[in-house]
Amino acid sequence: MNRIVNVARMQWINRATFVTVPLLILGSALLISLLIYWIIPVDGPKYGGGAQAPLWYFLVIGIQSLTLTFPFSLAMSVTRREFFFGSMLAAVCVAFPLSVLFVVGGLIESATGGWWIDGWMFYLPWIWEQGPFGAWLLFFALPVLFFTVGFCLATIYKRFGSVTLTLTLVGLGALAVAVLAVIRQFDAWASVGAWLAGFSAVGLALGLLLASVLVSALSMALLARATP
Amino acid sequence: MSTVIEVRDLTKRYREVRALDGVSLSFEDGAIYGLLGQNGAGKTTLMSMLTAQNFPTSGEVRVFGEAPYENARVLSRMCFVRESQKYPNDATAAHAFGAARLFFANWDQELADRLIADFRLPMKQAIRKLSRGQLSAVGVIIGLASRAEITFFDEPYLGLDAVARQIFYDRLIEDYGNHPRTIVLSSHLIDEVANLIERVILIDRGRILMDEATDAIRDRCVNLIGDREVVERFIAGREVLHTETLGRVMSATVAVRLDAAERAELTRLGVEIAPVSLQQMIVRTAQHAALREGAQR
Repeated sequence: MNRIVNVARMQWINRATFVTVPLLILGSALLISLLIYWIIPVDGPKYGGGAQAPLWYFLVIGIQSLTLTFPFSLAMSVTRREFFFGSMLAAVCVAFPLSVLFVVGGLIESATGGWWIDGWMFYLPWIWEQGPFGAWLLFFALPVLFFTVGFCLATIYKRFGSVTLTLTLVGLGALAVAVLAVIRQFDAWASVGAWLAGFSAVGLALGLLLASVLVSALSMALLARATP
Repeated sequence: MSTVIEVRDLTKRYREVRALDGVSLSFEDGAIYGLLGQNGAGKTTLMSMLTAQNFPTSGEVRVFGEAPYENARVLSRMCFVRESQKYPNDATAAHAFGAARLFFANWDQELADRLIADFRLPMKQAIRKLSRGQLSAVGVIIGLASRAEITFFDEPYLGLDAVARQIFYDRLIEDYGNHPRTIVLSSHLIDEVANLIERVILIDRGRILMDEATDAIRDRCVNLIGDREVVERFIAGREVLHTETLGRVMSATVAVRLDAAERAELTRLGVEIAPVSLQQMIVRTAQHAALREGAQR
């Protein structure tokens, strides 16, 4: 257990990667969003997707914490299992404070009526329908999923090389198109729409967490035979 | 002395290439091994298998009596920083040493600090911006200061200048004297490490050509230089590793242990008897093996 915690500490050893940069991205996304809300001459609430900026960064650190830190962890005599659980611990421990920041941001927004200019970045109505806890769960599940997906893609790259990774991505794209085609074939857009609308924030969050578990289980299986 | 690593019939195949071909050997506690061989001979592959960083196609590795794969108990007692080691993005040498300190129970920060000063290693620069020599120094410092029971150095001198290389050799001997452990030094600069290593493991195209005490190897061969006919008569029927002729003078590297009478006789005949350096010995052995293999085909 101690060694797993040490792997997480190894992932954090360069604080810029896991702390400074995400905070910088979140801070600047907020600032830019507010400036835009302030500029645009619209009466009524202004919503923006600036909050997703740090999420994409989680995809990047998911990739980086594998491609570069995995070979280093082997030199530190860490087992692949310890590396996997330590890396996940590192991601969860960063996703948690980030999600709390999102909730705090949402509470500030709702208290100030959208930063006094009716501009909203964290307090999106659907997300907050089930209260702050529901919102928190979704804000937590999203970066975790982004991290595990990045980590898994990097594991595929490490095990099988760039061609297989590209084929995997193309395959996923083709699968998505096939799903769309099937929906269209059966003229089922209305029912799919209703099904999607039926999701609550908490339901979606739980679904994303389940997806994270599945994706990371795949990573772990692939990592077992990965070489530096 | 007890056996710390036991390797049996280890083979690693990459498609057509046999990087390791039926390797069997063992490593004892408290000795410095020279893992010698040309580039691509299989040195790094062998060390990767021993530390479970890579997987054998067939064969068995036992370290401290156990399989090393996914075995924290065993792995935590070993240290292997490879020659082309990758480091986390933007990590500095300070970050790398900070991590090593977390994982190696015997880590000696004082020794690390001393080596950092010795090698004049910049601590605040990203490792990927360091020179080749400075990169090697990072690996050398992790290897020495981790003081793991089994430590592998993978061509640790790459890019290091003569002064820095000497610092490494001196510190290695000094620290080994104070804290005996098993050290495996892979190298193709044989003469430089000849005085360090107690045992030679010579690997060539994935096969072990030699696994012997350094002293025994040195005693086994001599260089004879003298009149061609005299030398030819003496070496007839013996194992000759190499000959060179220049006019009437012949120089031959022969596997022979000369007794006093033979020495006296050769000296009387004007033949000079010279010791063979470890490097010569090993180069000749490798060439000899290649020739023999060529003849068999």
